[in-house]
Parts: sequence; C-alpha cells; structure tokens
Amino acid sequence: MTQHIPGAVFWCLAIVTCVALLLLIRQYRITAALRRRLRLGEADLLAREEEMRHLAETRLPALLEASRDAGTPSVPGPLDADLLATTYGKSLQRVVDQLSSVGEDARLRADKSAKATLKAAMRALQALASEQQLSISEMQGRHDNPDVLQDLLEVDHANAQFGRRAQAVAVLCGSWPGRQRAASPLLDVVRGATSRIRDYRRIKVHSRVDMDVVSRAVEPVVLAVAELLDNATRHSQPNTTVEVSIQPAHNGVSIVVDDAGIGLDAREIDEAARRLSGRENIDIHRLGDPPQFGFAVIGVLAARYGFSVSVDTQSPYGGVRAVLFLPNALLNRVRFMGPPIPLQGAEVPPASSSLSFVEPRTEGAGGPAARTSTAAEAAARPGPSEEPSPFPEAGAAEPSTAQVLPRRRRRTPLHQEPGDPADPARSGPPLVRPAAETASRMGAFARGTRSGRDASVDNERNADQ
Amino acid sequence: MTPPRPGRDRGLVRPYVVTEGRAHPTRNTVDLVTLVMAVRNRPLSGLNPEKRRVMELCGGGALSVAEVAAHLSLAVSVTKVLLCDLIDSGHLTARPPVPKAQRPDAQLLQEVLHGLRSRF
Repeated sequence: MTQHIPGAVFWCLAIVTCVALLLLIRQYRITAALRRRLRLGEADLLAREEEMRHLAETRLPALLEASRDAGTPSVPGPLDADLLATTYGKSLQRVVDQLSSVGEDARLRADKSAKATLKAAMRALQALASEQQLSISEMQGRHDNPDVLQDLLEVDHANAQFGRRAQAVAVLCGSWPGRQRAASPLLDVVRGATSRIRDYRRIKVHSRVDMDVVSRAVEPVVLAVAELLDNATRHSQPNTTVEVSIQPAHNGVSIVVDDAGIGLDAREIDEAARRLSGRENIDIHRLGDPPQFGFAVIGVLAARYGFSVSVDTQSPYGGVRAVLFLPNALLNRVRFMGPPIPLQGAEVPPASSSLSFVEPRTEGAGGPAARTSTAAEAAARPGPSEEPSPFPEAGAAEPSTAQVLPRRRRRTPLHQEPGDPADPARSGPPLVRPAAETASRMGAFARGTRSGRDASVDNERNADQ
Repeated sequence: MTPPRPGRDRGLVRPYVVTEGRAHPTRNTVDLVTLVMAVRNRPLSGLNPEKRRVMELCGGGALSVAEVAAHLSLAVSVTKVLLCDLIDSGHLTARPPVPKAQRPDAQLLQEVLHGLRSRF
C-alpha cells in the first residue's frame, strides 16, 4: 500500500502543477490583456486631455478671435481626427458650435443695437445739417458783402461735408438717404456730389448726356458719387485733378471717375468688390479704425436702388477708375446731346433740363428764314442797342446752329409793346420766361374783361394799356 | 412770382461749386440794377451750366443783375461773381441802369384817373 503513496503523490503533484501552470498561463494572458487595455486607456486619456487642452488653448481663443475680427470664423479642427467619431469628440464639437452660435448671436445683437443707436444719432445730425444749410442759404441771399459771402461759402462747404458724413453712416445703419429731391439733370447730380467733398475744386466734370435722374434716385446717386469722388480725391495727390465723365450706354448711363492716385492692389480690389456688391451683411464693427464707410455705403445704396458700381479697372491716369452704372429705370427722358462741347463758334444749350421745356417750342417757331427776320427786327429795335454784331449775318452764317438753338426768346414780348399792344389775337412765338408769359396772360385777361364790360370799345384808352 | 424751374433743385449744387470757391467779384462796378447783355457768337465752351444759363437768359436783351439772380435761383452776390467772370471773358457787356424816367405829368395822371373812374 505504502509503495503506492509516492505514486499517488507524484500524480497529485503533477496534476496540481499542470493546473497551476494552466492557471498561470491564463493569468499571464489576462494580465497582458489588462496591461494592454490599461495602456490604451492611458493613451486615450492622454489624447483626450490633449484634445481638451487644444480646445481650451487654441480652438476657443481662435473662435473668439474669429467672431471679433474676420467675417468667416476659421476655427482649427480637433487634433485627433479619430476622436471626432466618439461621443467625447462629438460633445466637444457641440461645445464649440454652441459657443460659436452664442458668439454670433451676441455679435448680431450688438451690431443691431449699435446700428439703431447710430442711426438715431445720425438722423438727428442730418436734420441739423439740413436746417443749417437752409439758414446758410438764406444768409447767402441776405448778405451782399463778398467777405461775408466768402466765410459763408466756407461754412456751407463744411456743413455739406458734415451732412454727407452723417448721411453715409445713417444709410449704412439701414436708414434711407433722407432727402426727397426733384428729378435732376445728371450733371447737377454729379456737381451736387462734388459739393459735398473736401477738394471740390479738383473735380472736372465732362458730360455728353442730358438726362434726368428720377426723383427717388437723386439723393442716393449723389451720395454714392460723392463717396467715389471723396475716395478719388483723398487717395491722389492734391495737385492732380479727378476727371468725371458721364457717358451714355445702351441701357443706361455710366458715371466714370478717374483719379491719378495710388490705385488699389488685388486684395483691396477683391475687398472693394465684395463691399460694393451690397450682398454681404455690413458689420459696422469691422470697418476698421478709422472706419472705411465709403464702399460699404455705396454697396448698400447700389443694392437698394438698383445701380451698380465697380472699381476694378485701372485709370488711364494710373489710379483707380470707378464706374457707376445707372440703368434706364433710374433715368428720365433720354436725350443724347452729341459731342460734349464744340470747339468754337456754335452755342450749345446748357446741359441742364432748362432745355426741356424750351426746345420743342423753338422748333415750332420756324426755320432759319423766320430767325433771320426776327434778328433783323431786333437790330432795328430802339431799345438798348449796344450789341455790336450784325444779326442777319449771324443768322446766315450759322443756319444749322440757329435751328437748334433757342435764342433771343425775350425779343418777342419786347417787340410787341411798341407795335400794336392792344391786339390780343396776335400769336407770336410763345414766350419762354414764365414771368413774361404770366404778365401777358394777365394783360389779355384784363383786356378781355374790359372789352366785355364795355360794349363800346375805346381804342384810344386801350392803346395806353 | 416766377415758379421754380422744373428739374432744378436749389440745394443740390452749392454756390461754392458754382463759383469755384470765389466770393469776390472781379470788379466792383456791378450792382443789383446793372444791366447785362450777351455778346453774340462767343464760344460757350468751358462755361459751367450756370454761366450757360446766364448766356441763354441774356441772349434776348438786357437783364438786370437781380433778375439774372432770380432766374438762376442763386444769391445775388454769387451771381455777381459769375457775371463778372462772363464780363471779363467777353461773353457779357454791362451797362449802367436806365436812368430814371422823367417825373410824370400830374395833369396826365389826373386825366388817366378820371378816365378810369368813368370806365369802372
């Protein structure tokens, strides 16, 4: 029996050893797996910590920076792209998104309130400027002393610039340009814009077009052109001129502003085109310091009223060529005047709308023959006769211009008086000057009343009237 | 009395643009009642719209400075600057105002008065 004990013990030991070995191996594997998981876990934790640090130190400041300065927020992405798929990564992304939307909301709100405040303030200033302009105009009419007038002109000039600044800011903040004007000739619109800038003496306007800008577009176009002219004069040498030409186009008119200034580089042109398009939402906090209102204001006006402005061409004088294109919808009575100014001799009607109610009547008054006869009559007129030139010659020398030109319209009423003043049926060429016309109408009315009241006409007394 | 010309907005083009910043007329002989007349056949090139308008207005005969100013809707002192320029450039001639008429005969006035009374 006893010799079986060692065998049994041996087998027992062997079995125990095997089991222990198996257990050890299993344990070793478990430990290895655990160690591996631990390592992975540690790496993961490190990555997350790193990610969190990246978020706190890089991404959020970038977000803040982006919301403060540039238009489009450029927030860097996460360090580890794999993390993005996990819940943790998604949560982080959500944090960033929410912060960014909160920032955007706050910015919009701040922008809105700043705009509302500025708008109200600028409207008040604008009203004051207009009021002041009125009183300056009155003073200009009242004072005859050139020294006083000189001062008034300077005050007027400063006031006009002041008004324009206030107006520009108000428009940028969503206000309307603030003045209702009558439809005005393009030339006056450009000169109106010239009135509102500092270096108005450097602007030279050449117009080949005699058209009116419709009433609702006058003030916006004046403001936009004033901003262009202001840019042009501000960014060019004080001894250079800024050339403005108004040119007809197929479906509108272009106002071309050429300066001999420093020009724009490619980046500035892009920036300008973006602002001039009027499509982007203008954030008044981002216009720089000092704020660059010009292009932004023009963009807002262009988008609102339907004209377009581009500054992407180079001027032949080396600076910028800005082109403001007015479509026909913003223009009245399209008339092309031909060459701007004849070199010599001929008189050209002024490029203002004064022609509009003169021209048709003049054409109805007769051809060169009638002109010559009236001219001859005028020469024989006993009135002030210091005009040296022989009129028939003038009429014969320039029949073509004489046909076009409204000339000596006042001659007719003057001439009627010595002739037979009491003849109401006489139909001379219609008068142009409203005052004279009114007077003659009232005279006719009086005469009619008188002859109606009194059946027996007393020619002698009527002739006195 | 004269209605404002259509298509002309007074406040749009300021006077300093019209006179190019000058307030002193080149001569001091021009006053409210000075008569100006256009000289025929002068080239109008280089004149601004207001000056052309003056030439157009004065083309028909003599006009007083005050009348020109009213037609242009400009202040008289501003108009004087323009007119002096035009006189200097030979576009206009100026002459002193027409002398005052003789005092009318009281007898004649009396007759007119009687005539009017008998009529109405």
